[in-house]
Amino acid sequence: MTSIDTAADMVIDAADVTLSLGDGPARVEILKGVDLAVRAGERLAILGPSGSGKSSLMAVLSGLESATSGRIRIAGLDIVGLSEDGLAEARRGRIGIVLQAFHLIPTMTALENVSIPLELAGHTDPFAVARRELEAVGLEARLGHYPTQLSGGEQQRVALARALAVRPALLFADEPTGNLDAATGETIVELLFRRLDETGATLVLITHDQELAAKCSRVIRMRDGLIVSDTVAERAGVAA
Amino acid sequence: MPVMPAAPVTRVGELKPWPVAARLALREARGGLGALRLLFVCLFLGVLALAGVGSLATAIEEGLAEQGQVILGGDVEARLTQRPPSPEEMAALKGFGGEISQSIRMRAMVRGESGRAPGNEVRGESGSAPGNDVRGESSAAAERQLLGELKAVDGGWPLYGEAVLRGGGGNSAVQAALGRGALVAEGLADQLGLKVGDTISLGEAQFLVAGVLAVEPDRAGEGFTLGPSVLIAFDRVEATGLVQPGSLYRHHVRLKLPAGADPAAVTAALEDQFPDAGWRLADRRDGAPGVRRFVERLAQFLTLVSLTALAVAGVGVGNGVQGYLDRKGGTIATLKALGAPSGLILRAYLLLIGAVGLAAALAGAAAGALVPWVVVQVAGAALPVPPVLGFHAAPMLASIVFGLLVAFAFAVPPLARAGALPAQRMFRGSVERWPWPSARAIGASLAAGALVAALAVWQAAERLFALGFLGGAAVVLLLLFAMGTLVIRAAQRLPRPKGVLARLALANVHRPGAMTRQLVVALGLGLSLFATLAFIETSFNGELAKTVPAKAPGFFLLDLPKEDAARFRESLPAGTEVRMVPSLRGPVTAVNGVPASELKDVPEGSYLLRGDRGLTWSAEPPAGNRLVAGKWWPADYAGPPLVSMDAEQAGLLGLKVGDRITVSVLGVEIEATIASLRQVDWDSLGFNFVLVYDPNALRDAPYSWMATATPPPAAEAGFTGAVTRAFPTVSVVKVKDVLGEVGNIVRQLGTAVRAAASVAILAGIAVLVGALAAQARSRIYDNVILKTLGATRSQLMRAAAMEYAGLGLLVALVALGLGGIGAWVVVTKVLEFGWRPDWMVALATVLGGAAVTLALGMVGAWRTLGVRVAPSLRE
Repeated sequence: MTSIDTAADMVIDAADVTLSLGDGPARVEILKGVDLAVRAGERLAILGPSGSGKSSLMAVLSGLESATSGRIRIAGLDIVGLSEDGLAEARRGRIGIVLQAFHLIPTMTALENVSIPLELAGHTDPFAVARRELEAVGLEARLGHYPTQLSGGEQQRVALARALAVRPALLFADEPTGNLDAATGETIVELLFRRLDETGATLVLITHDQELAAKCSRVIRMRDGLIVSDTVAERAGVAA
Repeated sequence: MPVMPAAPVTRVGELKPWPVAARLALREARGGLGALRLLFVCLFLGVLALAGVGSLATAIEEGLAEQGQVILGGDVEARLTQRPPSPEEMAALKGFGGEISQSIRMRAMVRGESGRAPGNEVRGESGSAPGNDVRGESSAAAERQLLGELKAVDGGWPLYGEAVLRGGGGNSAVQAALGRGALVAEGLADQLGLKVGDTISLGEAQFLVAGVLAVEPDRAGEGFTLGPSVLIAFDRVEATGLVQPGSLYRHHVRLKLPAGADPAAVTAALEDQFPDAGWRLADRRDGAPGVRRFVERLAQFLTLVSLTALAVAGVGVGNGVQGYLDRKGGTIATLKALGAPSGLILRAYLLLIGAVGLAAALAGAAAGALVPWVVVQVAGAALPVPPVLGFHAAPMLASIVFGLLVAFAFAVPPLARAGALPAQRMFRGSVERWPWPSARAIGASLAAGALVAALAVWQAAERLFALGFLGGAAVVLLLLFAMGTLVIRAAQRLPRPKGVLARLALANVHRPGAMTRQLVVALGLGLSLFATLAFIETSFNGELAKTVPAKAPGFFLLDLPKEDAARFRESLPAGTEVRMVPSLRGPVTAVNGVPASELKDVPEGSYLLRGDRGLTWSAEPPAGNRLVAGKWWPADYAGPPLVSMDAEQAGLLGLKVGDRITVSVLGVEIEATIASLRQVDWDSLGFNFVLVYDPNALRDAPYSWMATATPPPAAEAGFTGAVTRAFPTVSVVKVKDVLGEVGNIVRQLGTAVRAAASVAILAGIAVLVGALAAQARSRIYDNVILKTLGATRSQLMRAAAMEYAGLGLLVALVALGLGGIGAWVVVTKVLEFGWRPDWMVALATVLGGAAVTLALGMVGAWRTLGVRVAPSLRE
């Protein structure tokens, strides 16, 4: 960190976060006491080898998994100890997630996939908003297509539109280009950063890709469930 | 300064869970519902069984109600025992206007005498001179004897319905034929080889067979009868010599009331006018109460069996939902990641599953509604009345409600578990351990189950039995669930076998995601039900075959005139064991001075107040009876009437020594004090009476003798013919024939019960197939890896065979034990029979079930082995 910030500026404020899975002899400590603070507007990349705990860190920060202990405050809300429903409520409208495998709902069209978070948020006209979001990622011609009728790149665009539709404070992206060829991946990354500029969301990006990480304003590295380095890029486009 | 989000967190309005859930469910439905077919099949089968049983019972009951007039033979019937109506009673009956018809019904030996010169009228002569000795009769003649039901009808019969002659001809043809001679029922004609023009003897008279009766409209109202009917004209019954004071006959007077008359008002008026007549009055609303009660009870039992089938189906529903949610893990995780609360997800999938469940229940109910049609086609002759075919809303609705409640009870736990699972673990694909559902979900599931049980018990005629049955089924369900858990734990702890195939088989029993518990529960419940039925049926047959003949006499003889006792004894073949008791009949009209009709809350099992009772007297306690209260009267007792009563019936009515009971014998009321209570050995098949009087109490009443006779084996063949020739009014019942008839009824009931239980097995098989399909994904993965490492298909099949054979055998043995316990309770405690099961038949039944398991498991295994390695590895 380059400056001391107040808690109010923090989109993520996590301290001594641990995560253990399994019971008895099968118990595995995945996160061993992680401290992390992320300010609004930051673009944070988390790097690390397989098994280092980076995806697990994203899971507990986004409420997809409950931390075993520690404190996590997301956009002003303490999420440790919340029930599954509490976590879902915390995510709703606050957190967007883009995953490597897209995870679109196969029985729904692109438009319907994007409208889900809006519907969950009780939006009065979710389909109009979803349509605009899909237009923003260049898929205005693909509104009625099902995921199986879309290419990998198109599916990831839908996932991105869905994640940002409710204007979350925070966007988690876990290897968003991992299932795409290089050219498509490049396009998605460009789109991702453009949409971040347009929406102002904070990014937490999980990646193996050093080049992709270099596009972020801050890079942390993980090993064995701990953060081992935390660097702020001088040339980052976001005010630090 | 940090850059804040361009837009605030979206909070446009409150989440409306049901509309959003409905939209999600619709979108999911669009993707196809094939994955819910196990749920559909199981629920369809369960509801089919329930709706089928309910529809058939309702169709028969409506048939009974709709044809009440025809079955009763009138709008109102007065049934008198051993006496005709008095002139005053007859005048009162006629006073209601309309038409009147009289008939007499009694048991009688029918002797076929074809080949002899047919008489064209009642001859009024003895068929054979009384006084003949019964020792020298040919067996050929014996084969031409049959105990029948003699029915003497007047010219008004039948007041309702149509009697039909074989070959055509209705009521007028029937009456014309009765003018020429007797009409024999088809069964009688077939059994005695009679045809029109032959001669039969009834009592002391001979009749020309003037026709064969194909339809006797009021047959169902006659209750249980020992033989087929033979009809003669009312005014010719006297010539038979069968109607004597004390002989067991019933005199029926039926009224066809003028239009608009209320039959209930008529019976009430008759009861008021003749409170002591001792007759039994019935009206068209309930023409055959005995048949109705029987149908109700059988339907009740079959409903409970069907509910067990539905419980098995419920396990399938649970598995189906679990399997479906497994496939939908990604979608559910995505919804959660997008902020959908578990309640919304639960609602969405509950709507979806509810819609499929409703469709399955509707289809099952519709198919069940067709069961009466099928039964009429397949076994119409066995039904007491033609069922009213049509869609019966009440049983269909009830079965749909039961089906949906069971589906809800079994679907909620997996749904709640999916709701409670962190999204990240669902994203990972395979869930190693599903969390327990929330207490609320368990509560909702249990509440639905309890509601099913409460509804079933509330509907039941015999609630305690229904409660016991459902309680037993629930205990078996829990035991099997515990056993499934035990098997998994044991498989985890067993030392690892050396052979890789055995190791694989063992691992498959306890691996994460193994369906062992569900297989044990579903298969175990079905096999336990079948084992129970096998035990009950073989035990019943064993009791009949082994115990009864050793104890039972060879023949029952009824209606021996009281003056013929000595001559009868003398005429028997040497070495015949004979026991004779005096016999009368009469209804119980009052208990402790309270008229029987005013007694309230009479328990279901108490038949003492229902219809006529056989009465006798004796100076000594009857053989095989044990006094449990009071004292037997002295041999020379000459005081006020005393009676000894069966302790069980006394207990049901709350009667004790010192209480009073009144019977009506030929219209004369006799009140007696209960002097003692006896424990009666009913299955001895000797003469057993609920009420035994002191010799003075009934001696002056007209009576006849009943006898049991066991002639030496050599004299057995011609015994019936010889007795009936020497004593034409005597009815002879060969015990083995009756037992054969009872055996037939038991077999027919067994078929009905097995048909209902088969649905449980079918549902079990559906569960099994579904469970195997649910395992298929992980099995395919394993097999692909093993094949990659060089395992052959036959090696993998052997591993699967070991797994399913082991599991099937274990479940079969447990089902044998559970079925044995259940059957033992039913046989010894409910039916109060001896416990004589055929263990080999029961063992064969459950092993057969296990073999089916093995076969199905192998089919499933073969399917998973057929997957090609390379494409699977690429996935």
